[in-house]
Amino acid sequence: MNSKQVHKYVQRYLEATQCAILEKSPAHFKVKLSPVADRELTNRPFYWSFVDRTGSEPETMTYLFVTDQEKYEDNVNAPALAPAPATSAVDAALNRSFGFVNNNLANGVRTHREDLYFGSRKLEQLFGAAKNSGSYVNLFQEPERRSNTPFQSTPYTQWLGVNMRVEFACDRKREEIHSYGVSLATGLVVENFYDRLKNLKLTPRLPANVHVTRNGLSFAKALNLVETSLERKLKGYDYSWAEDATARLEEELARIRHYYDPMVQQAEEEVKSAIEEQFNQRQTEIRWQYEPRVTASAINCGIFHLEGIE
Amino acid sequence: MTSTMNNQANEPTDASIARRKLHPLVDLQCDRSWFEELQNRSSKNGPWDDWTLYQLSVEAEHAKRIDSFEQLLCMRTLPSFEPMPHQIDTARKVVHEMGGRAILADEVGLGKTIEAGLVIKEYMVRGLVKRALILVPASLVLQWVRELNSKFGISAVAQKKEHSWQYEVVVASIDTAKRDPHRDIILGQDYDMIIIDEAHKLKNKKTTNYQFALQLRKKYCLLLTATPIQNDLDELYNLITLLKPGQLGGQSEFAANFVVDKRLPKNEDQLQDALSTVMIRNRRGDGGISFTKRVVKNIPLELSAEEQALYDAVTAFVRDRYKEDGVDMMSMLPLVTLQREVCSSRDAVFITLVNLFKKTSEDSPIRAKIWELVEFIKQIKANTKAEKVMELIQQINDKVIIFTEYRASQEYLLQYFRAQNILAVPYRGGMNRGKKDWMMDLFRGRAQILIATEAGGEGINLQFCHHIINFDLPWNPMRVEQRIGRVHRLGQTEDVKIYNLCTLGTIEEHIVNLLHEKINLFELVIGELDHILERFETDAGSIEQQLAKMLLESGGDSAHLEQRLNQLGSTFSKLREEKESAEAPKGPTILAQMTELGQKVEVKP
Repeated sequence: MNSKQVHKYVQRYLEATQCAILEKSPAHFKVKLSPVADRELTNRPFYWSFVDRTGSEPETMTYLFVTDQEKYEDNVNAPALAPAPATSAVDAALNRSFGFVNNNLANGVRTHREDLYFGSRKLEQLFGAAKNSGSYVNLFQEPERRSNTPFQSTPYTQWLGVNMRVEFACDRKREEIHSYGVSLATGLVVENFYDRLKNLKLTPRLPANVHVTRNGLSFAKALNLVETSLERKLKGYDYSWAEDATARLEEELARIRHYYDPMVQQAEEEVKSAIEEQFNQRQTEIRWQYEPRVTASAINCGIFHLEGIE
Repeated sequence: MTSTMNNQANEPTDASIARRKLHPLVDLQCDRSWFEELQNRSSKNGPWDDWTLYQLSVEAEHAKRIDSFEQLLCMRTLPSFEPMPHQIDTARKVVHEMGGRAILADEVGLGKTIEAGLVIKEYMVRGLVKRALILVPASLVLQWVRELNSKFGISAVAQKKEHSWQYEVVVASIDTAKRDPHRDIILGQDYDMIIIDEAHKLKNKKTTNYQFALQLRKKYCLLLTATPIQNDLDELYNLITLLKPGQLGGQSEFAANFVVDKRLPKNEDQLQDALSTVMIRNRRGDGGISFTKRVVKNIPLELSAEEQALYDAVTAFVRDRYKEDGVDMMSMLPLVTLQREVCSSRDAVFITLVNLFKKTSEDSPIRAKIWELVEFIKQIKANTKAEKVMELIQQINDKVIIFTEYRASQEYLLQYFRAQNILAVPYRGGMNRGKKDWMMDLFRGRAQILIATEAGGEGINLQFCHHIINFDLPWNPMRVEQRIGRVHRLGQTEDVKIYNLCTLGTIEEHIVNLLHEKINLFELVIGELDHILERFETDAGSIEQQLAKMLLESGGDSAHLEQRLNQLGSTFSKLREEKESAEAPKGPTILAQMTELGQKVEVKP
């Protein structure tokens, strides 16, 4: 993610969570968080449990999110030079009347600055926040055009959609992301289902003049179809990495066997079990480290009602 | 904070995992917990999440996806950090060729900590490490925590209480970790990664530290040491046994195949081959000037008549006490401190006298004597050293760090500079982290002077400053070295100027003489000193105790003291020569021949 992408990402998050953007440039946002976003991003569990218990009006925090550090600093420093005399004249006048005036007081609440870049902890937290409230959806496609006659109803199909992260791991790891959709009407399985959804307008409410076709198969059946499709796809992959990992695993096991076997044999009775235990522990560690495995878990999923019957 | 806590609840339970065979060697494990939750919400008709956040969630996963087994992916998450090429190469090799178990044995100053940080970060980015334990000497705990947090964005926590162990990445001292109640907690954990710094301290397999390290349950493991072999090859063997038992064969095979004498290897090429899969050792280049110079200047001072009178009175007081009380060193040490304090400031003496007064019984004749001393203090109107320092600072006209042993002298100097309209900030061990950082920032910014009472290995890096004034000197050479080391380190671009203030005709003169002329402290190679001291201190207590004893036993006879100090100085240089000659066929040379274990790095300051 480059800084432009981060910027766009942050903007969409802030808008989706109804945060009040007080100020923005291509390099930053100054934002008063909404309660939802504040709970996710400010690490104040005690404050929020206080608000929840007492029912008092929450005071959310204001942040300065900088998405492009370099550009932001340039912007801040450059224009500040010109109006500086004016403000200092005002300050001087105020100082004469009231003594020292802290400029920050005029700006209201203290703002926390966070630099958001790919890898920064705050952005990581924002990713987590998106995941926490973007995991399970139930959505309807908005019809392309309003139907001419209010008495004509458009048929919709219910889909089970899921985005899966597939991890190929041994002592090393790589990942793939797969997106599946299963038509609950017909059992049709579609790959790259998410790409198809991206181009549609989706809404949480059932649109007018729409009816959903009766499901032909159960959720459980659909789940099975997803897993079977994934399995079929993955079976065609190259598993030399797993063979290599297994070879390493066997080599490591042989090495420690060579080390421990004579030790166990020669050991006095009282220490024997301790050595064997250590030997077992080392074997477990090596399996843990090298054993090849593929795991699939959902990033998020949902029920999607899409136009037409498929 | 919650994000750093171990959260077992997110782990899928076995019940929600479906297995399918993909390949004779590999199963596909499908986690179905999502499906259960989706059905659950569907049956209750909600609550449902937001479509935009759904998309953002997918996009985040796409951005974080680990495309390939190869590559060092952590670099894309560390935009403002530029490790040196050999550090990146080392991290890559550990992750991609060594399976994440390695001894990082770079020579001092090449950045083993950075290499370890890159390795752990890489595994964290790849999701292969969540729980990590980092065991380091107590003095380095905070430095590690700070480096991991600031350089690598890893939420590492210093172990303080028992509950600290539940955090995902914990830095702790091994001496704490091995004790109850911590020991059982740690040994009951499976750690994705364990890092042990200064691992040469584990060389002896009979020690409790070694036995403890052997019992840790771990997946990946890094051992960091600049001296994997200090005395004999067994040490290296023991370290490797922690990582990969049997890598050099069983104990007897190792002896038969690789060892001629404890200190002499054979079949070096095979040994090097066997080592190359577990150990990386980058060396300093010959050509590169690794450090800038140290320029040491002793500044001799005459005490003023009033100060000299106090010094003499205190010396007489101490001598009398010694004659009366005999050789009980424990009660004598504070008295010797008195003598040293006169050389620093009257404030320091005064505080110690007040404490002494409080401790002596009301009818003790000593109380009257203490009062007499206080009278001498009252006579003193100016501090000779402080005036000299003022002069120095005006000449230097740049950032200066002043070190003093005494809190009272520190306070006095702060006031003194304030009166002269020079901005000075304090730094001491008792400050909390935030205050320390604040003081550092002030010193980096507006303040010209930092007055520190401790140099400790707390990771204060002050390369932007290259003037040190030792207002008074610690008696332990290691502490002097630590002071200088704050400034004279990698990243320092200027020659470092060190000024030792030295009051003539006092104990201080002897000490400066000993440290500078006899021990040649200021020119020792970095890292050499602790080895010499280690051997020096085994026989007759710490160097401070030995010095105090000499001082008291000399009974004011300056020539006698001089002679004893000379002896001490020559013992020291003898140890040093011994070390140099003994080391010739030992560890460093064994390793020096093994050039395949790493690369040569030209370190430009």
